Amino acid sequence: MEKERIEKVKKHIRTEAALEAGQVLKKITDNFPDNPEGMKYFYDLLSRQFSEEILPKNGKKLIGTMCVQVPDELILAAGAKPVRVCSGSFPYDNAGAEFMPAKTCSMIKAIMGLFQVEDFREKFDMLVIPTTCDQKKKTTEILKDMGYEAYSLAMPSRKDDDNSRYYWQNSVKEFAADLMKKTGNKITKESLKKAFDLKNEARYEFRRLFKLRMKNPAVIYGKDAFLIANAYFTDDIESWTAALKKLNDELEKKVEEGFSVANAKVPRFLFTGSPPIFPNMKIPLLVEEAGGLIAIDEVCSSSRLLYDMPSYDEQGLYDMIPAIADCYLKPCTCPCFVPNEERKDKISNLIDMFNIDGVIYQAFSGCQLYEMEQKLIGNFLMKKGVPMLYIESDYSPEDTGQLSTRVEAFIESIKMKKKSSAAKKEENKKDKK
Amino acid sequence: MNKITKFVNNASIKRFRFWFQIVAFFIIIYGGYAAIEIGENLPTFACPYLDKPGGTCFLMGLQHRFTLPFDQFISFRGLAIITSILFFLAGFVFLNKAWCGYVCPIGTLQDWFTKIRQKLGIRYSNYSEKKFKKLKKIKYILLALLILIPLGIANSIPGVGKLSHDWGVPFCMVCPGRTVLPIFNGDFSQLTIDFSSKTKMVFTFLGMAVTGMFFAGAFYKKRFFCFFCPMSAFQFIFKKLGLLRLVKDGSKCTKCGDCYRACDMGIREIADDVENKDIVKDDCMMCFKCVAACPEEGCLKVNFLSKTIYKATEEGFYKRTK
Amino acid sequence: MKVYAGIDIGSTSIKIVLIDESENIVAHSTNPTGASFHKNSMDAFQSLLERENIQKADILYLASTGYGRKLLKEADETISEITANAVGAKKSAEKIGTVKTVINIGGQDLKGISLDEEGNCGNFVMNDKCAAGTGRFLEMTARTLETSVDKLGELHFNLKGVPASINSTCTVFAESEIISLLANGHSHEGIVVGVHYSIAKRIARLIKRIGVEDIIFFDGGPAMNKGLVEAVENELMRELYIPDVPQITTAFGAALIARSVYHEEEVHA
Ligand code: SF4
Ligand code: SF4
Ligand code: SF4
Ligand code: SF4
Repeated sequence: MEKERIEKVKKHIRTEAALEAGQVLKKITDNFPDNPEGMKYFYDLLSRQFSEEILPKNGKKLIGTMCVQVPDELILAAGAKPVRVCSGSFPYDNAGAEFMPAKTCSMIKAIMGLFQVEDFREKFDMLVIPTTCDQKKKTTEILKDMGYEAYSLAMPSRKDDDNSRYYWQNSVKEFAADLMKKTGNKITKESLKKAFDLKNEARYEFRRLFKLRMKNPAVIYGKDAFLIANAYFTDDIESWTAALKKLNDELEKKVEEGFSVANAKVPRFLFTGSPPIFPNMKIPLLVEEAGGLIAIDEVCSSSRLLYDMPSYDEQGLYDMIPAIADCYLKPCTCPCFVPNEERKDKISNLIDMFNIDGVIYQAFSGCQLYEMEQKLIGNFLMKKGVPMLYIESDYSPEDTGQLSTRVEAFIESIKMKKKSSAAKKEENKKDKK
Repeated sequence: MNKITKFVNNASIKRFRFWFQIVAFFIIIYGGYAAIEIGENLPTFACPYLDKPGGTCFLMGLQHRFTLPFDQFISFRGLAIITSILFFLAGFVFLNKAWCGYVCPIGTLQDWFTKIRQKLGIRYSNYSEKKFKKLKKIKYILLALLILIPLGIANSIPGVGKLSHDWGVPFCMVCPGRTVLPIFNGDFSQLTIDFSSKTKMVFTFLGMAVTGMFFAGAFYKKRFFCFFCPMSAFQFIFKKLGLLRLVKDGSKCTKCGDCYRACDMGIREIADDVENKDIVKDDCMMCFKCVAACPEEGCLKVNFLSKTIYKATEEGFYKRTK
Repeated sequence: MKVYAGIDIGSTSIKIVLIDESENIVAHSTNPTGASFHKNSMDAFQSLLERENIQKADILYLASTGYGRKLLKEADETISEITANAVGAKKSAEKIGTVKTVINIGGQDLKGISLDEEGNCGNFVMNDKCAAGTGRFLEMTARTLETSVDKLGELHFNLKGVPASINSTCTVFAESEIISLLANGHSHEGIVVGVHYSIAKRIARLIKRIGVEDIIFFDGGPAMNKGLVEAVENELMRELYIPDVPQITTAFGAALIARSVYHEEEVHA
């Protein structure tokens, strides 16, 4: 009886999650004109993931990862498939809220809800969770307690000194060894080279998209860019790269033809903070539906996912594995690091490169690190003269009304500023004449 | 023009350097046979202990010239120090520290050892950051000694008196240029211990020890000897005069550390310093491997007379990592 | 006469302002929002036009703002209440100088806006999910004390003795707190003063996040409550500027925006 009831509850959550995903996807596709042809692949993929099969099936062993810091080259080299399990689903968030502390961040709750509702114990050979923020750290133990093969990948809290660097290199080395044990496959320099190349190809296409997004007027909405990166979480790396290549080709052609999705007057935003993960596209959608454009982002679920590229000097595991480790540590701008000056530098650079008018900073309520770093970034941006909107929110749609007012006001204020500065320029011109 | 720059930026600096070094190596070691004589005060180890080198090492002359009594400083002989430095600079300005990365035969030899090690699949070793900082200083001590000891030969030191002439060219006595390079002439005579005097014995013994360390060290540690090289220290004093420059646009740097990994000299600042434009540190040999390893468009650049001749590009990075 | 209209559809009332070409207020009205606010808005609009004898065709441009702004399909332009509020405040206080901070208390929200030198909206804060410290809170107080909202100001100044202290900011808990204060024999006046200070403290905390600078403009319905004004002034230790009709600033701002958008479009056309 009880078992039946539980099954019913689970089914209900699944249905709700599929419904939510469907609704968001509908918004993403229907509320915007001229979606690129090449986006269809990604829309379909995400929709399938919620309506049919959550986990990919390709015969390979699955290794779940819970952070952008997990070096998936190693997983690929060990002949397994990496799946990033970070979830953006509100129904799963609710499910997780039942047994997680109230102040836990939505993403953690959603992940835990997912692993509670869906019994993935047999599916994953390993769940890899780096010791980034406290919540993720402890999650590892709770997952173990739930019967999962959870692996804690030890990360230092600093990235600027050599002690941390070697500490991390060692922990990645150990991880490689444990992976070999778990999968029964050996990581060789040949297999690692292949994984390197696969990932670097993906990175190449990703950077192409990155450059296309610099175009002003824009050729692609931020919401689509988020989805592309999201699809990478679960997709097969080769097919993902191929699909993105096709999209990039299409966009490049569109640029040549002079096509754009938004004119040059549309305010351009940089999105930073806690990662939007499909279907939690709440804030990005609010921004773009209100007539803004997310030109670029600085979040671990999107543009930080595949930007940094490792390079090794000598082809041998002794150099390649540390090279991978370095690439996942040194340029990372996650707020779990102190100091994290690089985040300011990166944001500042992106602002200049992408012609950014304003910054949207999202922090999931409960994510202390992003909440606290908000002040630092805010002060920095104030000095730089770029306005920032700080939003503390979670996966629930409750606050959409309030948020939309704030987002709209922010956009309006930027439009007004743009207008008055344009008017000033005109005047200056006239004066000169 | 565009095509050429693209070709250059996509090029593999490793291969280019490999061939350049071979040519330079032959010119320095055997140049004399083909009547090549680049100059007398070369900022590189063109060692006169060789049969017919294609030039002469600056350090040898420097040590000789400093065997100079104080009262003769303002004299023709004193002037010779200045003119020799000027000749040194005349060669130096063109390549700057790239003399080390591209020409020096001792440097090239070490790179070849590294190649052999790589082929054998043996891992390299590295210094820890602390050790590195300490070891870096040795070259300055050597540079100071290499000037002070000759002065001690010509001038009397209170309490010790004048040093004997056995102390002459002290650095050459321990320099691998003297012991190793002549091997390429089939000459092993420098690899012996000279028992003619105590000082000579100690020096030649030290020379042998250094040679042993040179072989073993260079095999496991990239550019092992260069950390201690006084030539590198001397060059560094004049780096501002170099026409060839390595510059960095810190705003484009993500601190990914790819360049740091590539750097045989383990120069941390190349990745971590985002403030300074001129990024050449005292250990740098201007090999430009870092430029080739950097994935950020235009972040690291090689300039000659303020004109960029080679720079980091995304495309080049991909081409090279494939 | 040609006019521009701004309509602010708030949670408790619908405010309409008509302005002429030289940005003077021609007419304004305030009506309860009620349940079907589309119909009520249109009715309110109609009756204002009739009262002032203005033809529909004379309205050159209509901008809507407030919670219900998007549902009024008749509007030519919608604008968020934050922007409209800022624009309205800047214009209303023109004669005394440049407004730097705007505090607005609405039916169920609390806003703080900081303006830059040019009067552009720089930074702003808003209360998040709940109605603590908003107009709702005052309404609840009045209801519990069996009086009306407009009387609260008067009660405030009649206090003899010490004010009660209200600790809860949540409307629901505050209500039960007030009831128990009453049961313990606290005076109505003391409770009202307590409530005013409790709201004022909340405002101060919120507003300090964006930095408080003179001139401070205080508007929204509750700004008519002199007692509350005094409490806020004491909490911020600064003087507030209250417009003549505090509840219509946002609608006035919308009307001003309507005018400027109209002219822009004219230029482009
Ligand atoms: S530092 Fe190395 S390369 Fe340069 S002169 Fe000395 S030995 Fe030669
Ligand atoms: S022994 Fe060394 S320092 Fe002396 S001349 Fe030869 S290369 Fe130069
Ligand atoms: S910093 Fe660059 S140029 Fe200098 S030694 Fe290192 S890799 Fe070579
Ligand atoms: S490789 Fe380039 S981007 Fe990376 S740390 Fe070095 S200079 Fe910076």
